[in-house]
Amino acid sequence: MTTRQPAPITVEPYGDSAVMVTIPHADQAVRRAAIVAFRDRFLARRPPGVLDVVSGLESLLVEFDPLETSPQHVEYAARLLGDSPAADDPVRRRAVREFAIPVVFDDEAGPDLSSVAEEIGLAPGEVVDAMAASVFTISLLGAAMAPMMDGLRVPRPVRRRAEPRTDVVPGAIMIAGMNAIIQPFPGPTGWRVVGRTPHTIVDITRSEPVSFGTGDIVRFVPVSPAEAKALDGSFLLPKEVPV
Amino acid sequence: MTTVALEITGTGWLTTFQDLGRRDTERLGVPTGGAADQHSAVVANLLAGNPRGATLLENLGGLALVPDHDLLVAVTGAPARVTVGGAPVGGWSPVTVPAGAELRVHDVRLGSRTYLAVHGAIAADTFLDSAAPDARMGFGQVITPGTRVLLETEFRGFDQPVFRLPVPTLPFEKGPWLVDVVESQGGTAIPGIRELIAESSYVVTGRSTHVGLRLDGPVRHPADETEIVSHGVPVGALEIPHADELIVLGRYRSLTAGYPIVGVAARTSLPLLGQAGPGRELRFRWIDRETSVRRSGRREAELRTLERATADAFGALGLRTALARS
Repeated sequence: MTTRQPAPITVEPYGDSAVMVTIPHADQAVRRAAIVAFRDRFLARRPPGVLDVVSGLESLLVEFDPLETSPQHVEYAARLLGDSPAADDPVRRRAVREFAIPVVFDDEAGPDLSSVAEEIGLAPGEVVDAMAASVFTISLLGAAMAPMMDGLRVPRPVRRRAEPRTDVVPGAIMIAGMNAIIQPFPGPTGWRVVGRTPHTIVDITRSEPVSFGTGDIVRFVPVSPAEAKALDGSFLLPKEVPV
Repeated sequence: MTTVALEITGTGWLTTFQDLGRRDTERLGVPTGGAADQHSAVVANLLAGNPRGATLLENLGGLALVPDHDLLVAVTGAPARVTVGGAPVGGWSPVTVPAGAELRVHDVRLGSRTYLAVHGAIAADTFLDSAAPDARMGFGQVITPGTRVLLETEFRGFDQPVFRLPVPTLPFEKGPWLVDVVESQGGTAIPGIRELIAESSYVVTGRSTHVGLRLDGPVRHPADETEIVSHGVPVGALEIPHADELIVLGRYRSLTAGYPIVGVAARTSLPLLGQAGPGRELRFRWIDRETSVRRSGRREAELRTLERATADAFGALGLRTALARS
């Protein structure tokens, strides 16, 4: 019998029907990667009484029915999972999909492009190059299924807007920190808008309203407004992978 | 089975298809949503002989409709005048509506929302297996006057039934409403906030939405500017934004960032919070988690009793309920 080190996770009660799971670590990147891995394992072996989870950037809110389980049981299950190495997990994850998303990067589609460039000490064209060179991983689905991505390669983290924009169009490509996200529906946001994809990101009339999931890989491909127009409104699909 | 059309002759400020919300979709970034007052929605369905989560109508205010067939309905939620063909009938009770007669729910007071459940299955669009609206995602589910709502029902009419059921209602008081709050992680980040919230009075403002109730009243802010990164929050979380107000997050909340959460409303207080409209005074009382769960257990036991009683009563009338079907 082997003795394992207890997993370095914290589980704290959050009201009467939820606990908050975090994975403390000095390095932000480690915290964020660890919570994504934990979420996948937790969902694959969901303990009884657990109703849903909400992913944060560095946390997982676990919602449960307190008449069916208790914070103590959920914590115990979480620690057991946190303790088991991912490698011997028999639950197979879905295959990673890759996306090449066409984006118009200009001042009209990306009204914050030049201010972002100024802030991080690049020319606007260099910001576009950096976006195109970045390989993003979808870390979670944010509000209204918006794909939240890690992997922005710029000289330093991008600040959020001091005053949020009140009405950003669907398809807006937005950045903040070292993250990117795509606006799925019209609405307010504090993220910096640097471009726009002509694709429909979320279609609620489809039985699968999005084609992406956590862990998928995204690249942005700069296109001209004319090229974008040809794709206008079509549903975003992953790259065709040659068999 | 009969297909019945309900002609909507009047609505509240907003009338929508509704149910108990989406399950297991928060991990996809889609909030559970669903009836703001889940208790009233469940009781309406049970009284109408439906499964708890059947599609029903949620009204911010009242409603009026005329069916083209006899119907069995139940109206719950905020206290209201309910009439059938002009004659007063009871809320929180099964009611028959003869074909061609108008059912009216009006004079809604003390609370904001009324619920109408109809025996049978209402035809409504769904998104991620739920009829609950999600306005942000373009799924409005709004019902306007003139709409014909279709229903499949087994109800073939009988005389006004005499039900004497112990119906668990909600305490719609004229004075301040008491809301129980459970401590949460991070609740100690602001010294003295717990005492301040317990001692003070808060008033629901007109800026409130289905995302959250925004309350006027005293708050305190964290002394340090520690960054709070985006994280999930339970329904009922008490949040202090940068402005001097308190927000109680509702069933359509999304991730929160930058604002401290100081507590979470108890499960049994959530239905009343879903009924609190502008001008409503709220007082908060801290309770421990065990007490909260015990109360939730008692509420659930009351609902099970009602579920069994309705199954019996409907069974005697030859109508099947969810319990009898299972």
